[in-house]
Amino acid sequence: MSPLDSTIPYYPVNDFGPLMKGLVIGGVGILHVFLAQFAIGGGMLLWYFERLGQRGHQDARTFVDGYFKVLVLISFVVGALTGVAMWFTTIQVGARTIGLMIDEFHWLWATEWVWFAVEIVSGYAFYRYGPRLSDRARLQLLALYALASWLSLFWINGILSWQLTPGAWLDGGGVWAGFFNASFWPSLVFRTAVACTLAALVGCIIINTMDLAREQKAALIRRASRFAAPIALMPVLALWFFAVLPEDSRSWLLGGSMPMLMFVGVAAGASFLIGGYVVVGLILKRLFINGATATLLLGLAFGATAAGEFVREGARKPYTVRGVLYSTSIRPTEVAALRARGATADDPYPLQATYPTAQLTRGAKVERALCDACHTMRGANALVELSHTWTDDQLRLNLAKLQRTKGFMPPFAGNAEDVEALVQLLRWERGKRAASFAPTSSPETLAQIARWLDEAGTEPAGAVQ
Amino acid sequence: MWPFDASIESLWLVLYLVTFVLHAVFVSYVAAGTAYTLVAALRRSSDPIAARTRDWLPFMLGAGITAGIGPLLFIQLLYQRRFYTANLLLGPRWGAVVPALIVGFYALYLAKASERWRKLALGVGLACFGFVAWSWTEIHLVMLDDPAWRAMYGAGQRFYLDLAVVPRLVTWFGVMLALYATVAAWSASSSERGRLAGLALVGIIACGVTSAVLVVIRHELDPAHGWTYVLAIAAIVAAIAWGWTARRPDGPGLALATGATTAALVAGAVVREAPRLAMIEHGRATASASGGLVVFFVTFAIGVAAITWVVRTVRAAPAT
Repeated sequence: MSPLDSTIPYYPVNDFGPLMKGLVIGGVGILHVFLAQFAIGGGMLLWYFERLGQRGHQDARTFVDGYFKVLVLISFVVGALTGVAMWFTTIQVGARTIGLMIDEFHWLWATEWVWFAVEIVSGYAFYRYGPRLSDRARLQLLALYALASWLSLFWINGILSWQLTPGAWLDGGGVWAGFFNASFWPSLVFRTAVACTLAALVGCIIINTMDLAREQKAALIRRASRFAAPIALMPVLALWFFAVLPEDSRSWLLGGSMPMLMFVGVAAGASFLIGGYVVVGLILKRLFINGATATLLLGLAFGATAAGEFVREGARKPYTVRGVLYSTSIRPTEVAALRARGATADDPYPLQATYPTAQLTRGAKVERALCDACHTMRGANALVELSHTWTDDQLRLNLAKLQRTKGFMPPFAGNAEDVEALVQLLRWERGKRAASFAPTSSPETLAQIARWLDEAGTEPAGAVQ
Repeated sequence: MWPFDASIESLWLVLYLVTFVLHAVFVSYVAAGTAYTLVAALRRSSDPIAARTRDWLPFMLGAGITAGIGPLLFIQLLYQRRFYTANLLLGPRWGAVVPALIVGFYALYLAKASERWRKLALGVGLACFGFVAWSWTEIHLVMLDDPAWRAMYGAGQRFYLDLAVVPRLVTWFGVMLALYATVAAWSASSSERGRLAGLALVGIIACGVTSAVLVVIRHELDPAHGWTYVLAIAAIVAAIAWGWTARRPDGPGLALATGATTAALVAGAVVREAPRLAMIEHGRATASASGGLVVFFVTFAIGVAAITWVVRTVRAAPAT
């Protein structure tokens, strides 16, 4: 059968060694989000400083021209390209997920692209011709740049938040029900506040590099720090975000999973430290911030962004699109058929490694189809490590009742033979991959696994809505 | 008109081709422009064309990447399974186009800012853009070759070492020269236009010779419902117009060459697409029923108006 003929689209699966795929996309995604949000806030900050400059604050005008070079050289270049990298990486990690997102939202994605193009053109026009333009034209150009970059966020935010809270879209509400979903507004306001804060912190670094007297720098810093004031809203915005999360996702972030709780803690703690320094130190006490401290705060902001993105990604488990697509790239409606046919019956791709028995070969194919999206065999989130203390029957039970073993896992989308093959593969991997390995498939064992699979059912552990 | 009809897939195809053509203009300027400025730097000649090109290269690359997002979006609608499979088969080696572009981008800035590092920076930039062009050519061919997918994956091959890559790359080299010359000629002086005309003719001849050799070797010519003839006629007209421009740089030759080159580019994009039109994935319900079309077209009109305003604003700015 051709790889193009199967009803369920099967794609070649790449192995990233000890890196689990979430880390790969997380690394690219965090860098992209950080730079893109800096570019958005930077546009707004530049407009504000240009306006100040035109009202007689000459240093603000000098700042605009210096800051813009940094904005262009960093966020335009790396920010724009990591955006493309996000697309490519998402294909590597979950081709079916990005395919569904493109299918559903391509016109809105194209809309976002138009604003991105306006952002790039207006930004470069200011970079290149800014010193030659009239005051009015400078202000208009910066306003257009800031608006276009924020609208780019507006459109992409709806698509990303839809993955977590598709809401009425699941009931056939259409593209707008999906776009203006429950987490759309809290995410948008949250990201806008983050963008302003990042821009202000970078602004403080740039101000410290300017050839100005300390008093002049202090005056600019006071202006820039006002721009970071929205960080004071973070606790309220975070509560709003948590309030609209599905119940299982919320409980998973707030104690159900210790690593996720720690990410929440890191994001909240780092944001609290930055917010405290900005509001109390810079705005109320009017302290001077030097370049080193501003850089340190920016580093904290990067940590908060990284932790926040992990929280956003982790909250979706076991889905990549809630209610529609599991992290295994299998639809909930397809699980029952895969239970009957087997997880890899239609998988057209061979394995790249060889195994001593047919059962282990099948186990490796099952692992590739059902586990590889989030786990590695021996690296990050390693299957061997996670299961090494489990007895064979415990393995069989835990895999067969996967969504009951952990609520954030999808139901096992294969049959009893698949479970047993995976169990034997894990045993073989734990046993240092012996050259010979006796297959096990007693009818009693398979019958027991089949009963466990039936008891677990094909539904996920949590309610979709 | 073939290959367009009233289907939603046809609308995606139109948008794919239009954005692809726009993308091709920018990236051609970047690739051929980098090569041109590198040669000028190696020859240590004070070439005003090279100086202007160097100045514009970073912006053109930014514009090329931005314009490239359009076809990247629509190709995922037209050939989703093929495109994703080819991406996955080439794997991290395909993903290397992104760091290559980042390195190339900064190299162009460095070449603009530093005379000392110029040759090295342009050389690095050209190598990066060459790698990206080769990678896109490879992925295009992998998408078409689904019988080879399983063996390629099983063997863990990250390179598609097919001879078909070579003529495609040579053709693109010719196209890029012609497009670069067309864009660069509009801001060139009379004497400079003559040189650019020579460059464009080299590009057109490279495309023509490669195509002729392929027709002879393969014993087949796909007329693509007449688009191939439109392409050939437009290319011949462009060549004549460039010859005319070389003789009379201030005459109407450049306008004619630009029109003919544009026609050739559009026709060439359709001819390039013809072999895979049968592979378009029809009947994808979610994509076909997706909303937001009106919002896109309204935004598109606003975006075009905004960009037009920006261009008019900066053109009205006094010279330094």
